[in-house]
Amino acid sequence: MSMHKYLKWIFVLALLPAVSFAANPRLVLPDFTGLAGRASDSVTITLDAPMLSLAARFLDPSDPDQAAAEDAIKGLQGIVVRSYTFDQDGAYKPSDLDSVRSQLATPGWNRLMETRSQKSHANVEIYLMTEANKAVGLAVIASEPRQLTIVNIIGSIDLEKLHKLEGRFGVPQLGIGPAKSPAAGSAH
Amino acid sequence: MDEQLAQARAGNLGAFSTLVQAHKRSVYSLALRMLGQPELAEDMAQEVFIQLHANLSSILSADHLAFWLRKVTAHRVIDYLRRRPTVSITSLDEEAEQMEPADPGDPLLQRQVRQLILGLSPDARAVVTLRYQEDLDPVDIARTLDMSINTVKSHLKRSLDLMRQRIESGEPPRCEGQSP
Amino acid sequence: MTDDLESKLRDALRPAAPSEDFDRQLLARLAATQREPTKLRGRYASRTTWWFSAALAATVVLAVGVQHHRAVEENREKGLEARRQVMQALRVTNDKLDLAYRAVRDQSGAVAGDPGA
Repeated sequence: MSMHKYLKWIFVLALLPAVSFAANPRLVLPDFTGLAGRASDSVTITLDAPMLSLAARFLDPSDPDQAAAEDAIKGLQGIVVRSYTFDQDGAYKPSDLDSVRSQLATPGWNRLMETRSQKSHANVEIYLMTEANKAVGLAVIASEPRQLTIVNIIGSIDLEKLHKLEGRFGVPQLGIGPAKSPAAGSAH
Repeated sequence: MDEQLAQARAGNLGAFSTLVQAHKRSVYSLALRMLGQPELAEDMAQEVFIQLHANLSSILSADHLAFWLRKVTAHRVIDYLRRRPTVSITSLDEEAEQMEPADPGDPLLQRQVRQLILGLSPDARAVVTLRYQEDLDPVDIARTLDMSINTVKSHLKRSLDLMRQRIESGEPPRCEGQSP
Repeated sequence: MTDDLESKLRDALRPAAPSEDFDRQLLARLAATQREPTKLRGRYASRTTWWFSAALAATVVLAVGVQHHRAVEENREKGLEARRQVMQALRVTNDKLDLAYRAVRDQSGAVAGDPGA
Protein backbone atom coordinates (compact mmCIF):
# COMPACT_ATOMS: atom_id res chain seq x y z
CA MET A 1 0.00 0.00 0.00
CA SER A 2 1.49 3.34 -0.97
CA MET A 3 2.23 5.76 1.82
CA HIS A 4 -0.02 8.35 0.25
CA LYS A 5 -2.97 5.94 0.25
CA TYR A 6 -2.10 4.93 3.78
CA LEU A 7 -2.22 8.52 5.00
CA LYS A 8 -5.50 9.08 3.22
CA TRP A 9 -6.79 5.94 4.88
CA ILE A 10 -5.96 7.29 8.32
CA PHE A 11 -7.65 10.58 7.50
CA VAL A 12 -10.75 8.79 6.15
CA LEU A 13 -10.96 6.56 9.18
CA ALA A 14 -10.84 9.64 11.31
CA LEU A 15 -13.96 10.87 9.57
CA LEU A 16 -15.95 7.63 9.86
CA PRO A 17 -18.93 7.76 12.17
CA ALA A 18 -17.96 6.32 15.47
CA VAL A 19 -20.06 5.15 18.37
CA SER A 20 -18.94 6.49 21.66
CA PHE A 21 -19.41 4.46 24.82
CA ALA A 22 -18.07 7.30 26.92
CA ALA A 23 -14.62 5.79 26.60
CA ASN A 24 -11.87 8.03 27.87
CA PRO A 25 -9.25 9.33 25.44
CA ARG A 26 -6.99 9.95 28.43
CA LEU A 27 -5.30 6.70 29.34
CA VAL A 28 -4.60 5.80 32.94
CA LEU A 29 -0.96 4.84 32.86
CA PRO A 30 0.60 2.53 35.45
CA ASP A 31 3.26 3.81 37.77
CA PHE A 32 6.16 2.24 35.82
CA THR A 33 8.33 2.63 38.92
CA GLY A 34 10.14 -0.61 38.21
CA LEU A 35 10.86 0.31 34.62
CA ALA A 36 12.15 3.75 35.52
CA GLY A 37 14.46 2.24 38.09
CA ARG A 38 16.02 0.00 35.47
CA ALA A 39 16.16 2.65 32.76
CA SER A 40 19.31 4.52 31.90
CA ASP A 41 17.17 7.39 30.70
CA SER A 42 13.53 8.23 31.04
CA VAL A 43 11.20 10.88 29.70
CA THR A 44 8.12 11.69 31.74
CA ILE A 45 5.89 14.42 30.36
CA THR A 46 2.35 15.18 31.46
CA LEU A 47 0.89 18.34 29.95
CA ASP A 48 -2.72 19.30 30.62
CA ALA A 49 -4.74 22.00 28.87
CA PRO A 50 -3.54 24.89 31.04
CA MET A 51 0.11 23.90 30.56
CA LEU A 52 -0.37 23.55 26.81
CA SER A 53 -1.98 26.95 26.74
CA LEU A 54 0.90 28.40 28.74
CA ALA A 55 3.45 26.73 26.46
CA ALA A 56 1.69 28.09 23.38
CA ARG A 57 2.21 31.63 24.66
CA PHE A 58 5.94 31.04 24.74
CA LEU A 59 6.27 29.34 21.37
CA ASP A 60 8.05 31.62 18.96
CA PRO A 61 6.14 31.93 15.68
CA SER A 62 9.28 33.08 13.88
CA ASP A 63 10.95 29.74 14.61
CA PRO A 64 9.67 27.15 12.09
CA ASP A 65 9.82 24.26 14.58
CA GLN A 66 8.01 26.20 17.26
CA ALA A 67 5.45 27.55 14.82
CA ALA A 68 4.72 23.98 13.69
CA ALA A 69 4.44 22.91 17.31
CA GLU A 70 2.00 25.70 18.10
CA ASP A 71 -0.13 24.65 15.16
CA ALA A 72 -0.01 21.00 16.22
CA ILE A 73 -1.12 21.58 19.79
CA LYS A 74 -4.09 23.80 18.99
CA GLY A 75 -7.23 22.13 20.25
CA LEU A 76 -5.34 19.61 22.37
CA GLN A 77 -6.37 18.92 25.95
CA GLY A 78 -3.32 16.95 26.97
CA ILE A 79 -0.11 15.26 25.96
CA VAL A 80 1.38 12.42 27.97
CA VAL A 81 4.71 10.78 27.18
CA ARG A 82 6.45 7.99 29.01
CA SER A 83 9.66 6.76 27.44
CA TYR A 84 12.27 4.48 28.98
CA THR A 85 15.64 3.65 27.50
CA PHE A 86 17.61 0.67 28.74
CA ASP A 87 21.21 -0.45 28.45
CA GLN A 88 20.27 -3.95 27.35
CA ASP A 89 17.60 -5.88 25.49
CA GLY A 90 14.73 -7.50 27.30
CA ALA A 91 14.58 -5.04 30.19
CA TYR A 92 10.80 -4.86 29.99
CA LYS A 93 8.06 -7.39 29.39
CA PRO A 94 4.99 -7.19 27.17
CA SER A 95 2.91 -7.71 30.31
CA ASP A 96 4.14 -4.32 31.59
CA LEU A 97 1.69 -2.84 29.10
CA ASP A 98 -1.30 -5.08 29.88
CA SER A 99 -3.25 -2.38 31.66
CA VAL A 100 -2.64 0.09 28.82
CA ARG A 101 -3.68 -2.39 26.14
CA SER A 102 -6.81 -3.35 28.05
CA GLN A 103 -7.92 0.29 27.97
CA LEU A 104 -7.15 0.49 24.25
CA ALA A 105 -9.30 -2.58 23.71
CA THR A 106 -12.40 -0.82 25.03
CA PRO A 107 -15.07 0.49 22.64
CA GLY A 108 -14.17 3.87 21.22
CA TRP A 109 -10.54 3.05 20.58
CA ASN A 110 -9.57 1.70 17.17
CA ARG A 111 -6.21 0.23 16.36
CA LEU A 112 -5.20 1.92 13.14
CA MET A 113 -2.08 -0.05 12.56
CA GLU A 114 0.53 -2.27 14.03
CA THR A 115 3.90 -2.46 12.36
CA ARG A 116 6.78 -4.77 13.02
CA SER A 117 10.11 -3.88 11.55
CA GLN A 118 12.50 -6.68 10.84
CA LYS A 119 15.31 -4.20 10.48
CA SER A 120 14.94 -2.38 13.76
CA HIS A 121 12.95 -5.10 15.59
CA ALA A 122 10.58 -2.35 16.61
CA ASN A 123 6.87 -2.84 17.08
CA VAL A 124 4.68 0.26 16.78
CA GLU A 125 0.96 0.35 17.47
CA ILE A 126 -1.17 3.38 16.71
CA TYR A 127 -4.63 3.77 18.17
CA LEU A 128 -7.23 6.42 17.50
CA MET A 129 -10.37 7.34 19.38
CA THR A 130 -13.08 9.13 17.45
CA GLU A 131 -16.24 10.89 18.55
CA ALA A 132 -18.77 12.48 16.23
CA ASN A 133 -16.52 12.06 13.24
CA LYS A 134 -13.55 13.67 14.92
CA ALA A 135 -10.36 12.21 16.31
CA VAL A 136 -10.28 12.93 20.04
CA GLY A 137 -7.56 10.63 21.24
CA LEU A 138 -4.34 9.17 19.92
CA ALA A 139 -2.19 6.53 21.50
CA VAL A 140 1.13 5.25 20.27
CA ILE A 141 2.99 2.33 21.79
CA ALA A 142 6.50 1.80 20.45
CA SER A 143 8.24 -1.31 21.70
CA GLU A 144 11.89 -1.43 20.68
CA PRO A 145 14.59 -3.77 21.96
CA ARG A 146 16.02 -1.13 24.29
CA GLN A 147 13.31 1.47 24.46
CA LEU A 148 9.67 1.53 25.39
CA THR A 149 7.56 4.56 24.58
CA ILE A 150 3.94 5.38 25.20
CA VAL A 151 2.36 8.55 23.84
CA ASN A 152 -1.19 9.63 24.62
CA ILE A 153 -2.58 12.73 22.98
CA ILE A 154 -5.98 13.99 24.11
CA GLY A 155 -8.10 16.49 22.25
CA SER A 156 -9.01 17.46 18.74
CA ILE A 157 -6.30 15.82 16.69
CA ASP A 158 -5.42 16.64 13.14
CA LEU A 159 -3.27 13.82 11.92
CA GLU A 160 -2.32 15.80 8.85
CA LYS A 161 -0.77 18.42 11.14
CA LEU A 162 1.07 15.76 13.07
CA HIS A 163 2.33 14.41 9.78
CA LYS A 164 3.53 17.87 8.82
CA LEU A 165 5.92 17.68 11.72
CA GLU A 166 7.93 15.23 9.62
CA GLY A 167 11.22 16.85 8.75
CA ARG A 168 11.16 18.93 11.93
CA PHE A 169 12.53 18.33 15.37
CA GLY A 170 15.56 16.64 13.90
CA VAL A 171 13.57 13.87 12.21
CA PRO A 172 14.75 13.45 8.61
CA GLN A 173 12.31 13.83 5.79
CA LEU A 174 11.50 10.53 4.20
CA GLY A 175 9.54 11.88 1.29
CA ILE A 176 6.49 10.02 2.47
CA GLY A 177 4.07 12.92 2.25
CA PRO A 178 1.45 13.43 -0.46
CA ALA A 179 2.04 11.42 -3.62
CA LYS A 180 5.05 12.54 -5.56
CA SER A 181 5.72 11.97 -9.22
CA PRO A 182 7.59 8.78 -10.09
CA ALA A 183 10.39 10.94 -11.47
CA ALA A 184 11.07 12.18 -7.94
CA GLY A 185 12.14 8.71 -6.98
CA SER A 186 9.45 8.27 -4.38
CA ALA A 187 8.98 4.88 -2.88
CA HIS A 188 5.19 5.31 -3.03
CA MET B 1 7.28 20.58 69.18
CA ASP B 2 3.55 20.67 68.43
CA GLU B 3 3.17 22.80 71.56
CA GLN B 4 5.87 25.18 70.34
CA LEU B 5 4.10 25.34 66.99
CA ALA B 6 0.79 26.21 68.62
CA GLN B 7 2.42 28.97 70.64
CA ALA B 8 4.28 30.30 67.62
CA ARG B 9 0.98 30.47 65.74
CA ALA B 10 -0.41 32.46 68.65
CA GLY B 11 2.33 35.04 68.11
CA ASN B 12 4.88 33.86 70.67
CA LEU B 13 8.20 34.90 69.17
CA GLY B 14 10.10 32.80 71.68
CA ALA B 15 8.29 29.71 70.53
CA PHE B 16 8.99 30.65 66.92
CA SER B 17 12.64 31.07 67.80
CA THR B 18 12.64 27.55 69.25
CA LEU B 19 11.29 26.24 65.94
CA VAL B 20 14.02 28.10 64.11
CA GLN B 21 16.69 26.55 66.36
CA ALA B 22 15.30 23.10 65.72
CA HIS B 23 15.33 23.44 61.93
CA LYS B 24 17.91 26.03 60.92
CA ARG B 25 20.74 23.55 60.35
CA SER B 26 18.61 21.46 58.03
CA VAL B 27 17.26 24.45 56.10
CA TYR B 28 20.61 26.17 55.85
CA SER B 29 22.43 22.99 54.84
CA LEU B 30 19.92 22.15 52.16
CA ALA B 31 20.41 25.61 50.67
CA LEU B 32 24.18 25.46 51.14
CA ARG B 33 24.68 22.09 49.43
CA MET B 34 22.61 23.22 46.49
CA LEU B 35 24.10 26.71 46.17
CA GLY B 36 27.68 26.22 47.33
CA GLN B 37 27.77 29.71 48.82
CA PRO B 38 27.40 30.14 52.60
CA GLU B 39 26.26 33.79 52.61
CA LEU B 40 23.70 33.19 49.91
CA ALA B 41 22.53 30.05 51.69
CA GLU B 42 22.04 32.00 54.92
CA ASP B 43 20.09 34.67 53.10
CA MET B 44 17.91 32.03 51.46
CA ALA B 45 17.38 30.24 54.79
CA GLN B 46 16.32 33.46 56.47
CA GLU B 47 13.82 34.13 53.69
CA VAL B 48 12.39 30.67 54.25
CA PHE B 49 11.88 31.33 57.95
CA ILE B 50 10.36 34.73 57.24
CA GLN B 51 7.96 33.03 54.87
CA LEU B 52 7.27 30.44 57.56
CA HIS B 53 6.44 33.16 60.06
CA ALA B 54 3.93 34.61 57.64
CA ASN B 55 2.37 31.20 57.00
CA LEU B 56 2.34 29.60 60.44
CA SER B 57 -1.41 29.26 60.36
CA SER B 58 -1.13 26.81 57.47
CA ILE B 59 1.31 24.50 59.30
CA LEU B 60 -0.65 21.57 60.71
CA SER B 61 1.90 19.64 62.76
CA ALA B 62 5.59 19.22 63.54
CA ASP B 63 5.91 16.70 60.70
CA HIS B 64 4.18 19.05 58.34
CA LEU B 65 6.56 21.80 59.41
CA ALA B 66 9.60 19.74 58.49
CA PHE B 67 8.04 18.83 55.14
CA TRP B 68 7.07 22.45 54.49
CA LEU B 69 10.54 23.77 55.26
CA ARG B 70 12.24 21.30 52.97
CA LYS B 71 9.75 21.93 50.20
CA VAL B 72 9.97 25.71 50.36
CA THR B 73 13.75 25.72 50.68
CA ALA B 74 14.27 23.35 47.77
CA HIS B 75 11.84 25.18 45.51
CA ARG B 76 13.32 28.59 46.36
CA VAL B 77 16.84 27.43 45.60
CA ILE B 78 15.79 25.67 42.39
CA ASP B 79 13.99 28.79 41.23
CA TYR B 80 17.04 30.88 42.06
CA LEU B 81 19.40 28.53 40.24
CA ARG B 82 17.21 28.49 37.17
CA ARG B 83 17.32 32.27 37.04
CA ARG B 84 21.04 32.40 37.78
CA PRO B 85 22.64 29.59 35.79
CA THR B 86 26.24 30.39 36.70
CA VAL B 87 27.44 28.50 39.74
CA SER B 88 30.63 29.40 41.47
CA ILE B 89 32.99 26.89 42.97
CA THR B 90 33.54 27.78 46.60
CA SER B 91 36.99 28.83 47.62
CA LEU B 92 39.00 26.83 50.11
CA ASP B 93 38.42 29.57 52.70
CA GLU B 94 34.67 29.29 52.29
CA GLU B 95 34.94 25.52 52.55
CA ALA B 96 36.87 25.91 55.79
CA GLU B 97 34.05 28.06 57.18
CA GLN B 98 31.53 25.41 56.29
CA MET B 99 33.29 22.59 58.05
CA GLU B 100 32.25 21.70 61.55
CA PRO B 101 35.17 21.54 64.00
CA ALA B 102 34.49 17.89 64.67
CA ASP B 103 33.87 17.00 61.03
CA PRO B 104 35.10 13.45 60.59
CA GLY B 105 36.40 12.01 57.37
CA ASP B 106 38.58 13.32 54.60
CA PRO B 107 37.92 17.05 54.09
CA LEU B 108 39.36 17.10 50.56
CA LEU B 109 37.21 14.15 49.51
CA GLN B 110 34.16 15.77 51.05
CA ARG B 111 34.94 18.95 49.15
CA GLN B 112 35.27 16.96 45.93
CA VAL B 113 31.92 15.30 46.48
CA ARG B 114 30.23 18.61 47.26
CA GLN B 115 31.70 20.14 44.10
CA LEU B 116 30.40 17.19 42.10
CA ILE B 117 26.93 17.89 43.46
CA LEU B 118 27.25 21.50 42.37
CA GLY B 119 27.92 20.19 38.88
CA LEU B 120 24.45 18.68 38.70
CA SER B 121 21.30 20.33 37.44
CA PRO B 122 19.20 22.22 40.03
CA ASP B 123 16.60 19.44 40.21
CA ALA B 124 19.24 16.73 40.52
CA ARG B 125 21.04 18.65 43.26
CA ALA B 126 17.82 18.87 45.23
CA VAL B 127 17.14 15.15 44.81
CA VAL B 128 20.65 14.10 45.85
CA THR B 129 20.75 16.45 48.83
CA LEU B 130 17.33 15.42 50.10
CA ARG B 131 18.34 11.79 49.74
CA TYR B 132 21.74 11.86 51.40
CA GLN B 133 21.47 14.78 53.78
CA GLU B 134 17.86 14.47 54.86
CA ASP B 135 17.71 10.70 54.32
CA LEU B 136 14.38 10.95 52.52
CA ASP B 137 13.18 8.05 50.43
CA PRO B 138 12.18 8.64 46.78
CA VAL B 139 8.48 8.83 47.64
CA ASP B 140 9.04 11.67 50.09
CA ILE B 141 11.47 13.39 47.73
CA ALA B 142 8.83 13.23 45.01
CA ARG B 143 6.25 14.82 47.31
CA THR B 144 8.69 17.50 48.40
CA LEU B 145 9.74 18.49 44.91
CA ASP B 146 6.42 17.87 43.11
CA MET B 147 8.07 15.33 40.84
CA SER B 148 7.04 11.86 39.88
CA ILE B 149 8.81 9.00 41.62
CA ASN B 150 10.16 7.92 38.26
CA THR B 151 11.81 11.28 37.75
CA VAL B 152 13.31 11.19 41.23
CA LYS B 153 14.78 7.76 40.65
CA SER B 154 16.03 8.79 37.26
CA HIS B 155 17.77 11.82 38.75
CA LEU B 156 19.32 9.71 41.49
CA LYS B 157 20.59 7.04 39.15
CA ARG B 158 22.00 9.44 36.60
CA SER B 159 23.57 11.68 39.23
CA LEU B 160 25.28 8.78 40.98
CA ASP B 161 26.49 7.39 37.65
CA LEU B 162 27.84 10.77 36.64
CA MET B 163 29.56 11.39 39.95
CA ARG B 164 31.01 7.91 40.04
CA GLN B 165 32.32 8.36 36.52
CA ARG B 166 33.97 11.64 37.41
CA ILE B 167 35.53 10.25 40.55
CA GLU B 168 36.91 7.25 38.67
CA SER B 169 38.25 9.31 35.80
CA GLY B 170 39.79 11.86 38.13
CA GLU B 171 37.96 14.52 36.14
CA PRO B 172 37.88 17.89 37.96
CA PRO B 173 34.42 19.04 39.02
CA ARG B 174 32.65 21.15 36.43
CA CYS B 175 30.56 24.29 36.80
CA GLU B 176 27.18 23.34 35.39
CA GLY B 177 24.35 25.67 34.65
CA GLN B 178 20.80 24.68 34.26
CA SER B 179 19.87 21.31 33.00
CA PRO B 180 19.40 21.08 29.23
CA MET C 1 30.75 0.82 44.55
CA THR C 2 27.34 2.37 44.94
CA ASP C 3 27.48 1.85 48.72
CA ASP C 4 30.92 3.45 48.82
CA LEU C 5 29.76 6.52 46.92
CA GLU C 6 26.60 6.75 48.96
CA SER C 7 28.54 6.72 52.21
CA LYS C 8 30.81 9.45 50.81
CA LEU C 9 27.73 11.47 49.95
CA ARG C 10 26.33 11.08 53.46
CA ASP C 11 29.68 12.16 54.92
CA ALA C 12 29.94 15.17 52.65
CA LEU C 13 26.34 16.21 53.24
CA ARG C 14 26.30 16.26 57.02
CA PRO C 15 24.21 19.27 58.06
CA ALA C 16 26.24 22.39 58.70
CA ALA C 17 25.34 25.19 61.08
CA PRO C 18 24.84 28.72 59.83
CA SER C 19 26.92 31.58 61.23
CA GLU C 20 26.47 32.91 64.75
CA ASP C 21 24.85 36.02 63.30
CA PHE C 22 22.04 34.02 61.69
CA ASP C 23 19.53 34.28 64.53
CA ARG C 24 20.14 37.98 65.12
CA GLN C 25 19.83 38.80 61.42
CA LEU C 26 16.67 36.74 61.10
CA LEU C 27 15.01 38.43 64.05
CA ALA C 28 16.01 41.83 62.70
CA ARG C 29 14.44 41.01 59.35
CA LEU C 30 11.33 39.70 61.05
CA ALA C 31 11.05 42.83 63.11
CA ALA C 32 11.42 44.93 59.95
CA THR C 33 8.50 43.13 58.35
CA GLN C 34 6.31 43.76 61.33
CA ARG C 35 7.37 47.25 62.43
CA GLU C 36 4.46 49.60 62.93
CA PRO C 37 4.65 53.40 63.22
CA THR C 38 5.50 54.31 66.81
CA LYS C 39 2.87 56.33 68.62
CA LEU C 40 4.35 59.81 69.27
CA ARG C 41 2.89 63.12 70.42
CA GLY C 42 2.80 66.66 69.05
CA ARG C 43 3.80 68.35 65.84
CA TYR C 44 7.01 66.39 65.65
CA ALA C 45 4.95 63.28 66.28
CA SER C 46 2.56 63.98 63.40
CA ARG C 47 5.43 64.67 60.96
CA THR C 48 7.30 61.58 62.13
CA THR C 49 4.15 59.53 61.97
CA TRP C 50 3.68 60.74 58.41
CA TRP C 51 7.21 59.64 57.52
CA PHE C 52 6.61 56.24 59.11
CA SER C 53 3.37 55.88 57.17
CA ALA C 54 5.05 56.96 53.93
CA ALA C 55 7.96 54.59 54.56
CA LEU C 56 5.59 51.76 55.34
CA ALA C 57 3.52 52.54 52.25
CA ALA C 58 6.66 52.68 50.13
CA THR C 59 7.80 49.37 51.61
CA VAL C 60 4.45 47.79 50.82
CA VAL C 61 4.50 49.14 47.27
CA LEU C 62 8.05 47.92 46.83
CA ALA C 63 7.18 44.54 48.30
CA VAL C 64 4.15 44.22 46.04
CA GLY C 65 6.25 45.28 43.06
CA VAL C 66 8.96 42.77 43.93
CA GLN C 67 6.36 40.10 44.46
CA HIS C 68 4.72 40.92 41.14
CA HIS C 69 8.09 40.81 39.43
CA ARG C 70 8.80 37.46 41.06
CA ALA C 71 5.40 36.17 40.00
CA VAL C 72 6.04 37.29 36.43
CA GLU C 73 9.47 35.65 36.51
CA GLU C 74 8.05 32.44 37.95
CA ASN C 75 5.35 32.38 35.29
CA ARG C 76 7.96 32.91 32.62
CA GLU C 77 10.05 30.05 33.97
CA LYS C 78 6.99 27.80 33.99
CA GLY C 79 6.10 28.84 30.46
CA LEU C 80 9.60 28.13 29.16
CA GLU C 81 9.62 24.75 30.88
CA ALA C 82 6.19 23.95 29.42
CA ARG C 83 7.46 24.92 25.98
CA ARG C 84 10.49 22.67 26.39
CA GLN C 85 8.26 19.77 27.35
CA VAL C 86 5.90 20.37 24.43
CA MET C 87 8.81 20.36 21.97
CA GLN C 88 10.22 17.20 23.50
CA ALA C 89 6.81 15.47 23.53
CA LEU C 90 6.21 16.30 19.87
CA ARG C 91 9.71 15.18 19.00
CA VAL C 92 9.14 11.81 20.64
CA THR C 93 5.70 11.42 19.03
CA ASN C 94 7.04 12.25 15.61
CA ASP C 95 9.96 9.92 16.11
CA LYS C 96 7.65 6.99 16.84
CA LEU C 97 5.21 7.80 14.02
CA ASP C 98 8.26 7.96 11.81
CA LEU C 99 9.28 4.51 13.04
CA ALA C 100 5.90 3.18 11.93
CA TYR C 101 6.11 4.93 8.59
CA ARG C 102 9.58 3.48 7.96
CA ALA C 103 8.35 0.00 8.76
CA VAL C 104 5.42 0.34 6.35
CA ARG C 105 7.71 1.82 3.71
CA ASP C 106 10.20 -1.02 4.16
CA GLN C 107 7.40 -3.56 3.87
CA SER C 108 5.98 -1.80 0.80
CA GLY C 109 9.41 -1.76 -0.75
CA ALA C 110 9.96 -5.43 0.01
CA VAL C 111 6.60 -6.36 -1.53
CA ALA C 112 7.35 -4.28 -4.63
CA GLY C 113 10.77 -5.91 -4.92
CA ASP C 114 12.47 -2.56 -4.59
CA PRO C 115 16.14 -3.23 -3.97
CA GLY C 116 16.41 0.13 -2.30
CA ALA C 117 13.90 -0.73 0.45
